[in-house]
Amino acid sequence: MLTAHPGLPEFDYIKPTTLPEASQFLAEHAGEARPFLGGTDTFVRLRDGAWKDKYLVDVKHLDGMQTLAFDPAAGLTVGAAVNMNRVIAAPEVQAHYPLLAEAAHTVASYQLRTRATLVGNACNASPAGDTVGAGLVLNAELLIFGVDGGRRAPLATFFRGPGKTTLRPGDIVTAIHYPLPPAGHAGRYLKLGRNALGDLAIVGVTALGYRDPAAPSGYRFRLALASVAPMPLRPVQAEALLSDQPLSEAGLQAAAEAAAAAATPIDDVRGGAEYRRLMVRNLTRQALRDVWQRLG
Amino acid sequence: MLKTKPAADGHTPVGDSVPRLDAHDKVTGAAQFADDIQFGPGLLQARILRSPHAHALIKRLDVSRALALPGVKAIVTGEQTPGYIGLYLQDRHIFCRDRVRYIGDPVAGVAAVDEATAEQAVDLIEVEYEPLPAVFDPVEGTRPDAPLLHPDLGQYEAVNFIFPKPGSNISNHFKIRRGDVAGAWAQCAAVVEREYRVPHIQHVPIEPHVAVAKWDDKDKITLWASSQSPFAQRNLIAKALHLSQSQIQVIAPYVGGGFGAKAGVSMEALAVVIAGAVKGRPVKLRLTREEEFFTTFVRQGLVARFKVGCDQDGRLQALENTYYWDAGAYTEYGVNMTRAGGYSGTGPYDVPNVKVDSICVYTNHPVGGPMRGFGMPELHSGLEQAMDDLAHAVGVDPVEFRRRNCIRGGDIVATGMTMHPTGLPECIEKAAAAINWGHKSSPSAPNKRRGKGMAIMWKAPAMPPNAGSSARVQLNEDGTVMVSLGGQEIGQGTFTVMAQMAAAALGVPYDWVKVAGPIDTDSSPYEWQTVASRLTWSMGNAVSAAARDARRQILEMVAKAWKESPDDLDIVDGQVISYKSEEACSLKDLVIYGLPNPDGDGWIGGPVLGRGSFMPTYVTGLDPETGQGPRAVVHYTTGAQAVEIEVDLDTGKVEVLRAVAAFDVGKAINPDMVRAQMEGGLVQGISTAFFESLQLKNGRVLNPSFVDYRIATAADAPPQLEAIIVEVPQDDGPWGARGIGEHSMVPTIPAIANALYDAVGIRLEAPPFTAEKVYLAMRAAGVVQ
Repeated sequence: MLTAHPGLPEFDYIKPTTLPEASQFLAEHAGEARPFLGGTDTFVRLRDGAWKDKYLVDVKHLDGMQTLAFDPAAGLTVGAAVNMNRVIAAPEVQAHYPLLAEAAHTVASYQLRTRATLVGNACNASPAGDTVGAGLVLNAELLIFGVDGGRRAPLATFFRGPGKTTLRPGDIVTAIHYPLPPAGHAGRYLKLGRNALGDLAIVGVTALGYRDPAAPSGYRFRLALASVAPMPLRPVQAEALLSDQPLSEAGLQAAAEAAAAAATPIDDVRGGAEYRRLMVRNLTRQALRDVWQRLG
Repeated sequence: MLKTKPAADGHTPVGDSVPRLDAHDKVTGAAQFADDIQFGPGLLQARILRSPHAHALIKRLDVSRALALPGVKAIVTGEQTPGYIGLYLQDRHIFCRDRVRYIGDPVAGVAAVDEATAEQAVDLIEVEYEPLPAVFDPVEGTRPDAPLLHPDLGQYEAVNFIFPKPGSNISNHFKIRRGDVAGAWAQCAAVVEREYRVPHIQHVPIEPHVAVAKWDDKDKITLWASSQSPFAQRNLIAKALHLSQSQIQVIAPYVGGGFGAKAGVSMEALAVVIAGAVKGRPVKLRLTREEEFFTTFVRQGLVARFKVGCDQDGRLQALENTYYWDAGAYTEYGVNMTRAGGYSGTGPYDVPNVKVDSICVYTNHPVGGPMRGFGMPELHSGLEQAMDDLAHAVGVDPVEFRRRNCIRGGDIVATGMTMHPTGLPECIEKAAAAINWGHKSSPSAPNKRRGKGMAIMWKAPAMPPNAGSSARVQLNEDGTVMVSLGGQEIGQGTFTVMAQMAAAALGVPYDWVKVAGPIDTDSSPYEWQTVASRLTWSMGNAVSAAARDARRQILEMVAKAWKESPDDLDIVDGQVISYKSEEACSLKDLVIYGLPNPDGDGWIGGPVLGRGSFMPTYVTGLDPETGQGPRAVVHYTTGAQAVEIEVDLDTGKVEVLRAVAAFDVGKAINPDMVRAQMEGGLVQGISTAFFESLQLKNGRVLNPSFVDYRIATAADAPPQLEAIIVEVPQDDGPWGARGIGEHSMVPTIPAIANALYDAVGIRLEAPPFTAEKVYLAMRAAGVVQ
């Protein structure tokens, strides 16, 4: 950072015509090539010198990358190159996945969201990723094309650490798939940033709830926490509390405390660990209240 | 004071919210900024090697590997810059020689065919440092055993109103001793003692610094720069390089935001020195956004200790304030901020017994420099909280307390000067009324709390006593007017205001007037600097004088031709008219070619060219031990702000629901632009209150980018914002006008702090009042769990 670079380093821009061709190129140039979608993080890291790739492989135009499709039986599939503004505006998303639209809406600014993508947000593997929590509580899967062909991988086990995923050389995530959400569900994403627009999350809390007669409380909740652990986090103890005992204000408070206990935040320039833990508690409580109220 | 007859339609260009001269070009993108200027294929690019140490000796410097890199044209180091540079205190070399004093201090400069090559060369320069103990706190920096940053302080040249203490880290100590402070405490019914801190912040102009320099074979230098101070840059660079001022030409197009960061000299001198090594070729140096945060000027940090006391009626009796300025590695400009903080150190209050110490301390932090408000936002930040606390302590409403104690015309201020007429009491009344002071409104939700706060301020233009302005007004064949001046359009609208004044003083419609740009020290009239909110007043006087001079020439010519007295003539709407003979003649028929001689052959008159200049002549020195003197400053602009906020008990987030600004500007030449300054300053004040801070750790800025240095956006601005203009005229201001550019962000932090106290009963040691700090303070106070 001392000698901030004035411009981008040199790299070659590769535009393959097929997925196998792209995958093969990436595999052959492991460690020096990466797939390129919106570039909102890629260009910054290249300029900072944090990434030193020689090749950017543009995959935006390849098969299925620009597709946003909803199947009433299977769910929503969003191509890797579909930008967030398109996701937010899509009637299928607004009707069936309002939580996803709400989360995407908190990412950066409108201008950047014309480039930013859901798949990019996931592959970036930042614990602060605003749309990752929605993916986790919606049980999303990634569609990956690799040297051995296509495969599906649950988002829940995709992350290995900050900036680290299970992707292998030659892998290209082509889409993210969201199964049908539970009938009658309600969701909420609460993001705490420093100023009103365009900030990274100091803490982000995603909550999804639905009625389930099989659960002792009659409800099930799923929670995901951003920016309070090395990876996006599901506080499962908190979720269990909410399904196992009758719902009450005290129960929400207990679940919020459990979520805070599950968090392992750090001190950094954006916020301190103590505050982050307290905010996990307060925002989780708020998100749960909102969801519970909407479930009725 | 000037009076202008209105035009036929009843309008005079002064006092009307005419559209800005530069609006069209800026909106369409046609306006040219320094980085837009094309220099062709000969242009070289420069990059700077900067110190990675906060404090170290340079033991060895080897540029040979870097010089061997293809594409590298020259490398310069401190060897080429033996001279010192600085505005008020010459305490820095353009490139470091034996010692580096902050992380970012320039050690070497490379000129190469492109930025990437220059950057590569920078990495190849070998430097061996011997790290030294450093100073990161201004109070510790004053201790006798503190590491000494400038052992040569005693040899530095300084202006005669700055008092360095050789052998210490104190480069200026301003004192006020008035009355009997020690004896006064016993008379006080309430005394409040507080310590507040203000962090370093940065100006964050939209346009980062950029400079292009060219040095020809006869040592004539041209510098194109994004600059608030073309003339000061010419002067200071010439002195440092032992050149004559006339050898340097500074050309400064529109500036995309300055806020003080582009005043004086910072990186421009680097570009000039590098260009000297590649004569004949222009060299461009532009800072990255990251460099912008720590390698030019930053706003100084402050540790401030307040002790204020009042009698049982809430009348101030004594004040004892000590300001320790964290002024950074070089204080060539900052020393005068600490002087301003000293002579204005009481804030806008009438206090009989005063002791102020304003101490400028070298630290191994980025270089402190001028920033909008020049020390005033920093010292008012804590002072106005201490006054609020004192009001509460003695049981007087904070607005009433300010009403009773604020400075008024005729009061003797702490330096001994008699205060000129001021509208501060009116500002207080109007701001209090507009915020509905005394009425608490209901929060928008059960987990929210509301509060209101007020703060008042004063600020004088801080400058040498004899900072001057000059202007030319020339008329064209079509009767239109070209105004030449040396003050810079940095977004504040000065060109528009100058055109309004020229139009009004001459008697032509506003849209007949243009302002010559870019500012060019070879052809523009002299102007000290575009700083201190001084242009409307100082340059306005020069422009008005030049326009009046042109008017006089025209009227004398026409009087001769019409055989009338100039006293019976006037210029209205671009026509010369006679109230006596009722003759009329358009300016275009006479301002270039003159008029036929009525007594026979020949002509009278000729091209009309008015000149004007202005320099205050009445500012006096102050006693170095007591700070007393007849006239410390030219004048004070005063004002008040009030806010209503809502605090979220779940997160600690604070929202400003309503904000009111009321300032006495003497006369609003362009009311809409005055209001825009009040609104913009308030939003910048809000930004500094909630978000802005350079997070420094061992001299390193941890957040030098927009990712982690957050500033307010439109979405953070209050939904309701009211700007109130108060006009108590200034005796020597054009039409009575004073400046408003900086003042509008001075009282914002304490107004918000006072509202926070009103809402939830907490006081924080230092801005920014982040949600985290507010929440944790509420938790510590038992307001939340």
